[in-house]
Amino acid sequence: MIPAPTRYARASDLDHAFELLAEPDAKAIAGGQSLIPVMKLRIARPSLVVDISRLELRGIEERDGELHIGPLTTWDDLADLAHPGLEAIAECAHGIGDLQVRNLGTIGGSVVHADPASDMPAVLLALGARLEVRSPAGSREVPVAELLLGPFTTTLEPQELVIDIVVPLPGPGSGSAYASVEHPASGFALAGAAALVTSDHETVALTGVSATPFALAAGDPRAAVAAAEIFGDRFASEEYRRSLAVVVAERALARARERRAS
Amino acid sequence: MSEELIGVARPRVDGPDKVTGATRYAADGYIHGLLHARPVLSTEAHARIRGVDKDAALATPGVVAVLLASDLPLATTGTDRTAEPLAREEVVFAGQPVALVIADTEAAAEDGAELVLVDYEPLEAVIDVEAAMEVGAALARAVEEEDEDGGDLESIHAGVDHGQADDPQEELSGNVLDRITRESGDVAGAFADSDVVAEGTFRTPWVYQAYIEPQVCTTWLEPSGTLVVSTSTQGSFVTRNELARAFGLPLERIRVIAEPLGGAFGGKFALVEPLAAGATLALGRPVRLVLTRSEDFQATNPASAQVTHLKVGALKDGTFTGIEGRMIVDRGSNAGWGVEGITSSLVAGPYRWVAHDIRGYGVQTNRFTFGAYRAPGAPTAAFALESLLDELAQKLELDPIELRLRNAVVEGDIGISGNPYPTIGAVEVLERIREHPLWARRDSLPENEGVGMAAGHWPGGNEPAAAVCRVDTDGTMTVVTSAVDMSGVNSGFAVVAAAAFGLSPDKVRVVTADTSSGPYSGASGGSKVTYTVGKAVLRAAESAREKVLAAASQELEIAPDDLEVVDGVVQAVGAPDRSITVEELAKKILRFGGRYEPIEGHGGSAQTMGAPSVAAHLSHVKVDRETGEVELLRHVIAQDVGRALNPALVEGQMRGGAAQGMGWALFEQLDHDEDGRLLTGSFLDYAIPTAERVPEIETLIVEVPAPDGPFGAKGIGEAPVVGAPAAIANAVAAAAGTRLYELPMTPPRVWKALRS
Repeated sequence: MIPAPTRYARASDLDHAFELLAEPDAKAIAGGQSLIPVMKLRIARPSLVVDISRLELRGIEERDGELHIGPLTTWDDLADLAHPGLEAIAECAHGIGDLQVRNLGTIGGSVVHADPASDMPAVLLALGARLEVRSPAGSREVPVAELLLGPFTTTLEPQELVIDIVVPLPGPGSGSAYASVEHPASGFALAGAAALVTSDHETVALTGVSATPFALAAGDPRAAVAAAEIFGDRFASEEYRRSLAVVVAERALARARERRAS
Repeated sequence: MSEELIGVARPRVDGPDKVTGATRYAADGYIHGLLHARPVLSTEAHARIRGVDKDAALATPGVVAVLLASDLPLATTGTDRTAEPLAREEVVFAGQPVALVIADTEAAAEDGAELVLVDYEPLEAVIDVEAAMEVGAALARAVEEEDEDGGDLESIHAGVDHGQADDPQEELSGNVLDRITRESGDVAGAFADSDVVAEGTFRTPWVYQAYIEPQVCTTWLEPSGTLVVSTSTQGSFVTRNELARAFGLPLERIRVIAEPLGGAFGGKFALVEPLAAGATLALGRPVRLVLTRSEDFQATNPASAQVTHLKVGALKDGTFTGIEGRMIVDRGSNAGWGVEGITSSLVAGPYRWVAHDIRGYGVQTNRFTFGAYRAPGAPTAAFALESLLDELAQKLELDPIELRLRNAVVEGDIGISGNPYPTIGAVEVLERIREHPLWARRDSLPENEGVGMAAGHWPGGNEPAAAVCRVDTDGTMTVVTSAVDMSGVNSGFAVVAAAAFGLSPDKVRVVTADTSSGPYSGASGGSKVTYTVGKAVLRAAESAREKVLAAASQELEIAPDDLEVVDGVVQAVGAPDRSITVEELAKKILRFGGRYEPIEGHGGSAQTMGAPSVAAHLSHVKVDRETGEVELLRHVIAQDVGRALNPALVEGQMRGGAAQGMGWALFEQLDHDEDGRLLTGSFLDYAIPTAERVPEIETLIVEVPAPDGPFGAKGIGEAPVVGAPAAIANAVAAAAGTRLYELPMTPPRVWKALRS
């Protein structure tokens, strides 16, 4: 639980961050709620920790029919978000970790950490969110659906930083929800589901049950889960997880429909 | 005697320092020239060590030494954790310390530790405790265990006998280190005569004590050569004796200082001290070893896994007939002792049986080293028994509490040990929970909710102890003992001394002395400290009171028998204006030319009568049929505490015990893979009952005074955990309509049980 020797530098602005991240084994740190634990176990041993926590990338803003969430926005910031149709974001953020974790943990750091049982990626998937990422080479947009490759693996390049998370506002008369069953120790989802219900479609995304969070095929969740690839482990068998996936999907859908109706 | 001081809720004496962060624990002190140790833990569950390459570690900047077993000045060749703090040639569990890297900083030691290369020749790992018993099974320890005195750690925990002679008929493998037979009467006949019988096989896992402060020890040598050990331990004298055995040192050359304890629950007995002390003796330098949480999970001594086959019978009127048990205890690598003795004694519960036949087996495997955990062997026994008693009640269509009451032991009943029970409050606590409105409501609950009950008891322990009470010139009293302040015992001593002497409790300070200066006290464990050391404190305070009366008698010219001490004032009985304060007297005495003996008393105790405590629980749960999750809605505990010296502390123990029982019931499980590597070695994998999951716990104090305890008090720390898991299991059975025979009742297990 004592990290390997490392160096630390604080980025003063985005260009400075890119400059520091040019070092091959450098790693960006924001809230540190994912990186520090793996460093303490010496699973991650960056030569340089680049602190991006002071960059001006924190805050929530509505602009042109979309919600822009700065990647340094903390779970606690999001836990208060009250936006019709986007209830799932606050509901999910509120259930993450404990207050200390929510005070420091950031949405951008969590999403690019790509933990297969992480809650928020399912919500972003269901809401059809995309990331704006930037590197010295320029900017590009990455839909969340195209971000996650596998456990702890994304399509981002080493020097790329997320600078914006963009969530399209669902039309009026929409509702969303997040439901999960947590591992009793870690609090990570054994199965988590985010649902968005709008006037013309229903979307469900699952997390915790597969190598990456994924959007469920349209239609009856039970049939869609039956067709999905679900993994089992020593704590929760594949059969149990598959059953939970249906339960959380149905619970999230039911709650999203209720919210839509009210 | 100011007995009205007893039974008043007061803040604990150690509370202010702890909540303000002023308490200094064993890892906190600054020591000049301190070196830091980091252990290298075995990655194999069972292997022979071919060799250890230290070179890369020694080349790490800051690293001073890499120590192996052969580098420690050990005086014995035993294989227990004291005699072999670092594995010599054979590792017997994954997590066993193999080397110590010593460096100027903790970080440098850690850098060095990951470069130590241990060459292992893997041996077959013995992981399945039942398979390990079979003739022909691979042995968990290839090197023959030498028959050496492995210390006296069992007797610390409970006053139970060791059963009758072994059954020579049963052929078992060499992994079976101990067999217990407890037999009386005709069990087969008892079952034949029974109207109902219930039986089952109950499984419980290895469970971690999960104290807040990981194991830690700091050691140094005084210029005189005395080894000083500043440590987080439950027992200073037992630690001193263990170190003397390990290193062949005379007792007077070791001074053990028991620092404030950051939690222990039975797990802190001379496990890390031989490592730090060995390094200090080898290098002549101060050394500190602080286990990280993951090391503490792997390298310490959690509670045994257990398999209990149990069968019980009863007559139509509810009278219990026979009890037959076969209890298999996984000791891991602990060759010294196991809980098979305690668990096979306690499985009969606080009930009368016509006949019994109970076998206990202590079996070695390549998992951990077994250690004590709050009421060792008792929650597992109660889980089996109390589950089956509910099945009997169901078959007999009797109220489960009524069934137990018809069989509950009272003073004089003969227990399965063959000895008569001393004063015991089994009937009283059962009656107390029966009166609770939750019990009356149990059949009219919303769907998927259930209420269950269970009882559990702990026999308590005895050990002679001594204490000193001393009054200073400011009129305050200092109580000196060597008992480690665990579970608030010092706060109990303060009120006992205050009441016995006649002083306000806030004028009493309690000091925990080290082994070079303190009166004798055994380890804090076995629910015996308040009962035994508390009695010594009572007598020491009485002796100090005699001194103050003698002095006051001279000063006031009144016979001692006509004087009383009230709130620090010695006064004539019936004429309180004729008085002198204790402070004035102390000032006259403690000075050059003073004329009376110091107001100082020494007291000792040596009880032989046990003081068992019984607790009964009500648990109210809700089961989610879709996910298998169990929600604890409410918990009620009634416990016979003898006499509550400080009800706030007693309730804290009752709540803490109940909460740890919730851990046993629903969350906690140390699990290994097939090769014996720990899978649940962090709080990310190992769940404990956290604040958000523990419901309101209602505490009902029942007082059946212990005849030989201070003011009737008895040890109460262990009884509250014993019946809690069983009560929750019975509640889950009521809510789910199906019973689980394995702990913890995790969501996947409940879900599966609901489907089968």
